[in-house]
Amino acid sequence: MASKPAPYRPRRLVLRDGREVTLRAITESDAPAIQRAFDRLSADSRYQRFLHHKKQLSPAALERGVHPLPGQAFAFVATVPGPGGIDIVGAAQYVRAAEDDATTCEFAITVAEDWRGIGLARQLLASLLRRARRDGYAAMEGLVLAENAPMLALARKLKFVVEPSSPDSSAVRVLRMLAPPPPPAPAARAQT
Amino acid sequence: MDRPWLAQYPAGVPAQIDADAYASLKDMLAASCARFAELPAYSSMGTAMSFRQLDEASRAFAAWLQKVARLQRGDRVALMLPNLLQYPVALFGILRAGLVVVNVNPLYTARELTHQLHDSGAAAIVVLENFAHTLAQVIESTPVRTVVTTQVGDLLPPFRRVLTNAVVKHVKKLVPAWRLDAAVDFRQALAAGRARTFDEVMLGHDDLAFLQYTGGTTGVAKGAMLSHGNMVANVLQVAAWIGPGMKDGAETLVIPLPLYHVFALTGALSFFNTGTQTVLVANPRDMPAFIQALKGSRLSAIIGVNTLFRALLDAPGFAEVDLSRLKLAVAGGMAVQQAVAQRWKRATGVPLVEGYGLTESAPVAIANPVDIPEWSGGIGVPLPSTEAAILDSAGQPLPPGEVGEIALRGPQVMKGYWNRPEDTAQVLRADGWLRTGDMGTMDEHGSFRLTDRKKDMIVVSGFKVFPNEIEDVLAMHPGVLEAAVIGVADERAGEAVKAVVVRKDPALTEADLLAHCKLHLTGYKVPRLVEFRTEPLPKTNIGKILRRELRDAVPEMAASTAPVEPA
Repeated sequence: MASKPAPYRPRRLVLRDGREVTLRAITESDAPAIQRAFDRLSADSRYQRFLHHKKQLSPAALERGVHPLPGQAFAFVATVPGPGGIDIVGAAQYVRAAEDDATTCEFAITVAEDWRGIGLARQLLASLLRRARRDGYAAMEGLVLAENAPMLALARKLKFVVEPSSPDSSAVRVLRMLAPPPPPAPAARAQT
Repeated sequence: MDRPWLAQYPAGVPAQIDADAYASLKDMLAASCARFAELPAYSSMGTAMSFRQLDEASRAFAAWLQKVARLQRGDRVALMLPNLLQYPVALFGILRAGLVVVNVNPLYTARELTHQLHDSGAAAIVVLENFAHTLAQVIESTPVRTVVTTQVGDLLPPFRRVLTNAVVKHVKKLVPAWRLDAAVDFRQALAAGRARTFDEVMLGHDDLAFLQYTGGTTGVAKGAMLSHGNMVANVLQVAAWIGPGMKDGAETLVIPLPLYHVFALTGALSFFNTGTQTVLVANPRDMPAFIQALKGSRLSAIIGVNTLFRALLDAPGFAEVDLSRLKLAVAGGMAVQQAVAQRWKRATGVPLVEGYGLTESAPVAIANPVDIPEWSGGIGVPLPSTEAAILDSAGQPLPPGEVGEIALRGPQVMKGYWNRPEDTAQVLRADGWLRTGDMGTMDEHGSFRLTDRKKDMIVVSGFKVFPNEIEDVLAMHPGVLEAAVIGVADERAGEAVKAVVVRKDPALTEADLLAHCKLHLTGYKVPRLVEFRTEPLPKTNIGKILRRELRDAVPEMAASTAPVEPA
């Protein structure tokens, strides 16, 4: 496990409908924008994210969300310019799946309703997979509502294994093994 | 596609039905009215209405809807009625006028009613006076312009009408005060309609007949668009299934299940199509009255749910009911318990035949053959003109014996959810297959069996309850910090709703919470059990609730790292 997280340089993404977002690591100044993004989500979307009815984000949870533990957890946000500076239209995060297991992380993805169907979730999840592998995780897992067909389809596309639905639960587990991190980049070419 | 189940069809059941036999459900109903004219079509509280009378009254109501209420073809009309003679009159009237029926559970609370009227865009409603107070609370904020009210005894003969209405209102005090400006009395509407000319409407298979509401995992009830073609098909499919043992114009069906429930509705219409007299039971919980109705009916068939058959078996007086003509007992809406099936067979000599389907499939898609000697424990085989398959999570068919999601295809499968193309796309594939969300298996003979539900749905006495709706209501209470709802086994109702609650206000009591729930939820949705926990609800590290662990008797500690919240 890397003890020092590598920094992440913001990236501009052009989505399938031509709209652009900036993809970058979450920072503590994102808290108000996260709160606004949560407030805009429909009850359905919140249910898909939390698998239960969630009325509000607690201040403590929000605080933890914008301070991922370095090397153990990470969160990307996709931002666009907004009235308050920026609006967050998508987020992806992983955290260690269990305290005593440094090999597996758990992910979650949320995309604003009017930013779906244009490849943003795929970009977020692909970036998250690369990041988790770099941070030394061997596997990524997630819990997905069994009827959340778009998320399951995306997981399959990105080579997650979808475990059969467990009895008396509406959620299925998806699991992706992560290849070992790539070897360090070759040293810069010697000057001629 | 291979249809191994056809070999299991009883003699006389066709592999296909001819859904083109009728252009619309209303044409089918009109044909039965003409064919069986003088026979009794429906009876309620000892009073029968013939097919001819039903034809006449529904035509008058249709004329009123067209000419007085000035509703336009395709407008939605809500029906908020229990099983009374007014139900078929209003139902056929609405369909004949080319309008769309929106069935509403009369016991709905103001919150539930508001959603349904809004979502459907209902322009009119027919409501029993006993429930008018609920409508009065919300009507201002709904699109409803036309209100027709009726009293329980309105279609009984004059003397009994006056007596029944007076008893309901003044003795039993079942009519809470209400005030609805410009509401029209049902009998006045019929009288006014009789004075007007009804204009026949030409309808086809693609015209909508019903917006039939059904819950969803995420809690919002959606209107399944059932077309005239869907309904004609399912009525003919069910009629073909039960047909061989039934004689046209000679049977009596008892229907204690409310007709706003799609299983009761289509089942009853299938019998109507063959000239059966249908005995309407308005309130099967009034067991003495129910037994009385059974004793007076010499029934040959009955449609119910497991809970109801069980209640009948336990009821004093059931043993004296004359069941010598009983040929068929159909159970749907919920799983039949083996003990109930065995007791029923012993007591009546007739097996409980279990069927399966969804609101989205009008509803019957799979059923046990009616000549089964015993309860099979399975849901049976696909009906005529119906395909069923078991799919894996990628949507590919699985071989016999493997567990997967049951998918259905046939002329009874809905057109989609009203105004919800995304929800439609999630369940209805481009090639016509409907994903049911139910997990099951098919054996090599084409018999299906349910194993689990993919959705966190709870079925209480045949009624679906979706946890998120209940959690939403619980969360509205200021004393609640977190709440989750699960289904637990219940001997009587099959399943019961259980709420697991973490309090914000330590003084919050179970009684407070249940009183709050009763204000916002129909009775069957109100939790039967409440468990208060002091620890947070069990979640994964990323904040997703672990419902399975909620079922554990001992509350699980949440992981030591608190959940991280996302955008």
